[in-house]
Amino acid sequence: MGTVVIIGGGPAGYVAAITAARKGQQVTIIEHQQLGGTCLNEGCIPTKSLLESAETYEKVKRAAAFGIDVPADGVSVNWRGVQQYKGKVMKKLVLGVGYLMKKNQVQVIKGKAAFLTDRIVKVEKADGAEQITADRFILATGSEPIELPFAPFDGHWIIHSSQAMSLPGIPASLLIVGGGVIGCEFASIYSRMGTKVTVVEMAGQLLPGEDRDIAEVLTRQLEAAGVTIYTGTSLQSLDAAAKTATVQKRDRVEEIQAERVLVAIGRKPRVEELGLDRIGVTYSRQGIQVNENMQTSASHIYACGDVIGGIQLAHVAFHEGEVAALNACGIEKSVSYHAVPRCIYTSPEIASVGLTEMQAREKYGDVRIGEFAFTANGKALILNEQTGKVKVIVEPKFNEIVGITIVGPRATELIGQGTIMLHTEMTADAMEDFIAAHPTLSESLLEAVLNVTGQAIHG
Amino acid sequence: MAAEVIMPKLGMSMAEGTVIGWKKKVGDQVTKGEGIVDISSEKIEMELEAPADGILLAIAVADGGVVPYGTVLGYIGQSGENLETTSHAAAGTAEHQEVAATAMMEEKAVPAPAANKGSSLKISPVAKKIAEEAGLNLESIVGTGPQGRITKEDVEKALASRAASGPVATTPASAAASASTPAPMQTASAQEVVETTPVIGMRKVIATRMLESLQQSAQLTMTAKVDLTELLSLQKQLAVEIERRQEGKLTVTDFIARAVVLSLKKHKQLNSAYFANQQEARIETYGHVHLGIAVALEKGLVVPVIRHADTLTLLEISKAIKSLGERARNNQLSGDEMKGSTFTISNLGAYGVEYFTPVLNPPEAGILGVGAIEAVPMYRGEELTRCSLLPLSLTFDHRVLDGAPAAQFLGSVKDYLEHPYTLLL
Repeated sequence: MGTVVIIGGGPAGYVAAITAARKGQQVTIIEHQQLGGTCLNEGCIPTKSLLESAETYEKVKRAAAFGIDVPADGVSVNWRGVQQYKGKVMKKLVLGVGYLMKKNQVQVIKGKAAFLTDRIVKVEKADGAEQITADRFILATGSEPIELPFAPFDGHWIIHSSQAMSLPGIPASLLIVGGGVIGCEFASIYSRMGTKVTVVEMAGQLLPGEDRDIAEVLTRQLEAAGVTIYTGTSLQSLDAAAKTATVQKRDRVEEIQAERVLVAIGRKPRVEELGLDRIGVTYSRQGIQVNENMQTSASHIYACGDVIGGIQLAHVAFHEGEVAALNACGIEKSVSYHAVPRCIYTSPEIASVGLTEMQAREKYGDVRIGEFAFTANGKALILNEQTGKVKVIVEPKFNEIVGITIVGPRATELIGQGTIMLHTEMTADAMEDFIAAHPTLSESLLEAVLNVTGQAIHG
Repeated sequence: MAAEVIMPKLGMSMAEGTVIGWKKKVGDQVTKGEGIVDISSEKIEMELEAPADGILLAIAVADGGVVPYGTVLGYIGQSGENLETTSHAAAGTAEHQEVAATAMMEEKAVPAPAANKGSSLKISPVAKKIAEEAGLNLESIVGTGPQGRITKEDVEKALASRAASGPVATTPASAAASASTPAPMQTASAQEVVETTPVIGMRKVIATRMLESLQQSAQLTMTAKVDLTELLSLQKQLAVEIERRQEGKLTVTDFIARAVVLSLKKHKQLNSAYFANQQEARIETYGHVHLGIAVALEKGLVVPVIRHADTLTLLEISKAIKSLGERARNNQLSGDEMKGSTFTISNLGAYGVEYFTPVLNPPEAGILGVGAIEAVPMYRGEELTRCSLLPLSLTFDHRVLDGAPAAQFLGSVKDYLEHPYTLLL
């Protein structure tokens, strides 16, 4: 039995720990905060809880449309209650990870780890330091928000995403710098809680990287919810005393006042404090360098999750954690990024898998597109959420489904079906006699696939 | 419900198995426990027993078929039972259906075209389309997906390697034919082929392993003559006592095995294995000796392993060799009994061979080839006497050790054999 030390208890780290333990290794996991990492404590889970609160508030306000009368002045947001609900969900999940560690006999040490030699790490704990030796190491220290060089986080006015999810109250106004996934999700949360939200994005559209038509749908929806969106606009300066930001779009300069400024311009891998220089593990600002087995330049040290850069998603970290642990146990396995779903929990939700239309056109030239709008879907009508569409991208020669994007109600759940299609390398013609249940939102996915060959019934 | 006959998993490393031959025809009555089909994994052949009483309703994988473990090879049920495979039969009495099914299955038993087998092959829809369009034989593609499923990437790799290996002269006609039937392998047209044997099962494993061994290690062979005169006389003396105890017979191989084990304990460098991947390489040296003894069978070579041979006396080694050899010839070895050897002995003495170059059994660092004993006149001092000489050939991996330590090991084997009493201690 070998010994494996894992640094970082987030999605990559704890999955690696369980995998290695099940392969008979003696596993220790070192985490200086809570188990569950960014995902459970300051990312995926808490933001989704806030979004669900925002969604519920919205739904109750619109209840009259369904024939349910709610007194207009009787509906309000209890921010403390929202935070408590979020806390309850997080606590349960963090305890769940702790239980999994115990069940798989993984030793958990609370502390900060750094390499002394390539076989020994020093762990700084609350009650002193400890040195731990192991045969193999897996680095999964994750990532953290990037700050603006000219305006570092102060925790009050200029805040990062972790702080934005635990504000003492609902701000009257919020300036969000960065219109990527994180920025858009917070715009969706706070605009519906009643905050006056402004989003400033440098690229020509929100969600740079996703198709323009999809980003358009979200832009219109956010604007309808009262969000002011500046695209192609750069932030010039932040004046903390006046709580004023200066932005520039081409040659026009504007000033925006906001109670708080959320900087959401990306996340950087946590590589600094591991002592990697001492042991010759190759890394850059983009992250620790690994091969397809998640092995670093030191053959007994592996890395996975956000700390290697690449796709910074919890479910990618799960997969990489498993691959890293298997290889560390001597079982050769390569990482596969073929069918990774990408979910954005805005209102409406956006979810995609595989290539975007733009990427597909670059790769295959002429591609076939099948679209289906939720306006023609019965279940969407019943839900009173008809914004959005399903887009299926098919490569023309063999009809392989190479990409699916959904914007609309429950998109993040629907994409599961699309992920199966891409994962199994499905072709559009193989779906011709597929039966989708009625009435469901899922029908839209089938209709979009059929639309590729012009066979959709309801579109 | 018809009972399924399933390709079992024989040993941890088994990925696929070969159907060697069905002993029953479709329609034959079978009894539970009766042997109905011979199969082989990489290393062993065995007979599968009928899982239930009834009639062999259908054969899903014909003779020669290579399938992943867990695949249904055939169905046993009651006459008239409806199987998907027999559903094409014209509607009629149960008897009619059965006859029709038999006919169909017998047709299938002829080497089936790839298109037929393809239907039970695990392959993604797009991979299948690409392969079919390119006229690739699906059976020849190695799937890397879950349970050997062929993915798009696998097909693209196969296409790339086909392109790299140069144009396979295809006339328009043969190209069209290759889309539905496996292209016959090219043979030099001037040769008269007497017999064509597909390389499957044990043959395929030996072919792959031996080529790998020669391509991926730095092996060379050194030889030595051993004077066995004293050992043979000792063997004769012992034979009387051993026969009296009815414990069989001590063979020269037994003595050699014991000498090898004792020498390996002294020269551990030869009791090791070389492992490498793209990133790193390592040499593992072992404290225990698991001795492989090559045994020739009609269909090929197997190497049963005497585990912890270093804890056994000469007599115990002798018994182990006999028992393993016997079970190897009766196809009764389990996969685990042919795994994990740290050094191998290959004896061709019975065929009159002298010196030869045994091929390493990877990842092992050494293999000792034993030749035929020859009686020669030899000078001992000034006196000419009759001596029995044994030729030994040691192949070792120069990546693991150099010539001098290999020579020392060979010298040690020689020394033990020339002072045979030490082998009894």
